[in-house]
Amino acid sequence: MKVASASDVNKLNNLVPKVGVIKEILDETPDVKTFRISTPEGERPFTPMPGQLGMYSMPAVGEAMFSVTNYGEDYIDMSIKKYNDGVLTSVLHGLEAGQEVGIRGPYGNGFPIEQFKGKDIVFVAGGIGLAPVRSLILYCMRNREDFGKLTIIYGGRSKEDLCFKEDLFENWPKVPNTEVFVTIDRPQEGWDGHVGFVPDYVKEIAPNAQIAAVCGPPILIKLTLPILSQMGLPDEEIITTLELRMKCGIGKCGRCNIGSSYVCLDGPVFSQAQLNNMPKEY
Amino acid sequence: MKTVEKAKLDGFLGQLAQKYSVLVPVDYNGLTQFAPYSQVQEGVSKLYLDGNVTVSPKTVYLPQSEAMYKFRAQGKKLAIEEMPAMDKQQVVFGVRHCDTKAIQCLDKVFLDEKFEDPQYKDKRDNTIVFSLACNNPKATCFCESMGVDRAHAEASVADVQVYDFGDTYGFVAISDKGKACLDAVSGLGEAADKLPEQKPQSNKFDPSGLPAKLAGMFEDPIWDEYSFKCLNCGTCTYVCPTCHCFDINNKIRGEVGMKMRTWDSCMFGEYTLMAGGHQPRVGKKERVRNRFLHKLQYFNEKHDMFLCIGCGRCVAKCPVNLDITKFAKQVIG
Repeated sequence: MKVASASDVNKLNNLVPKVGVIKEILDETPDVKTFRISTPEGERPFTPMPGQLGMYSMPAVGEAMFSVTNYGEDYIDMSIKKYNDGVLTSVLHGLEAGQEVGIRGPYGNGFPIEQFKGKDIVFVAGGIGLAPVRSLILYCMRNREDFGKLTIIYGGRSKEDLCFKEDLFENWPKVPNTEVFVTIDRPQEGWDGHVGFVPDYVKEIAPNAQIAAVCGPPILIKLTLPILSQMGLPDEEIITTLELRMKCGIGKCGRCNIGSSYVCLDGPVFSQAQLNNMPKEY
Repeated sequence: MKTVEKAKLDGFLGQLAQKYSVLVPVDYNGLTQFAPYSQVQEGVSKLYLDGNVTVSPKTVYLPQSEAMYKFRAQGKKLAIEEMPAMDKQQVVFGVRHCDTKAIQCLDKVFLDEKFEDPQYKDKRDNTIVFSLACNNPKATCFCESMGVDRAHAEASVADVQVYDFGDTYGFVAISDKGKACLDAVSGLGEAADKLPEQKPQSNKFDPSGLPAKLAGMFEDPIWDEYSFKCLNCGTCTYVCPTCHCFDINNKIRGEVGMKMRTWDSCMFGEYTLMAGGHQPRVGKKERVRNRFLHKLQYFNEKHDMFLCIGCGRCVAKCPVNLDITKFAKQVIG
């Protein structure tokens, strides 16, 4: 078999991944790792907008869609939670730096940046749901003057399960006109912060925001959206993300449709107003 | 128009086969599908032009299983190699008008501006379609209702129009590719342009109001009624010329593997099952509803055309007689 290098791969075929190299693997929590990926030439594999997705694969094992939580000059970061019955995520969690992987993207619509500009924003996330929201938070912080007050409300099952701890406790609180609220589900030794579920915490804080970005497990989204409505946010200004099974990532293989929308193509970011007009089949 | 006597069709196809790869509808002891003309073999298979084939010619553009790329995974190293492009033009002879319209549907999916599919496009660009008008529709046919022109094949897909005049076939070039193809064949007759006599289609309805009406019927009890007898066998999706859903999986030999795309079916639970166990379409009601709505509402909302061209294969082949035309008529009222 003739073996092609990454640069030979026809970039036009979106279903064929590029070769990427894992530069670094960061442990976020006992079951979440962040994979920092470059091309073999040391370049950034692609440039995503906040909330956009990438297909990440070990070709012999499988391929799945993950949000790109951050990127730098020559890398993208994807934070991935390991599921015990997840064949690919289990293998990914066993990898070491230097491993070559498949990478393709960016896919999806991403967050509507223009709509967020000039507004006070509340970001609500739970667990690994902070990964996509973080891409938007970092964008707002890098373009700080374009956005109003930033209120970040985040929760995890326990203090060990909180992702991106350095951002939560060191970096973000130092950003001007930014507040960070962190909670865990149950009381725990060594934790003197807030205890309780995220939706209740949102209600308690009652942030004065003009737009919200929400991401987390389905139950968190389901319980948080009505609270944001009660706070007076119009449906157009409540922004969330959805997740369904995907294979192609480009609206062809069929399975991630909700009505006539494909989550991979028309999402993953939807407003409450859009969801109101879609079948409740997700 | 150019003509050829049916008795001399073999000679005509033989001439084409010298220049092109030629695919024809073939009957393998009752299973009918498009296959290389070179494989038609007395006693094993025969050319089948009396009716439409069971396995639609979407196989020409979206094969049941197709290699997407090769890879070699060796320790920490990974190499990826794309599949070669087609090296020869191919002729597909005898595609029915409904199935040319179906390829127009597939074009909306695979030739979209943002994410064009190069493997599909390669086959589209290098295929010359001879589209044969039907004179004798079957009881399950409803292509006229779905906007198929029985006199003229879909011009964005067909390159040569073929008419059946009993003892002869008539050919009218539609595209330049088609004209070049006809010019390459010698010994063709000439006749004045005319249409064959076409028997009327009996299964008729007006689907124009369906998308709007179905948009308000997601929670309607009609879905319980129509999904009740469904077996989730997937036959409808496999014989459907417009069903384009595919799975992506592997064929691995040691360190070398082949990434394949293979037909998938929205009738199956694994189609939507997520890691972690979440299942957005839990049972057959949800799956039948998604299939019918995709055909008659969702695709319309995205592409302004139905994802059903009225070939009637799903109606003819469903083991429990689940009939999308009966459903459509009931919704129309």
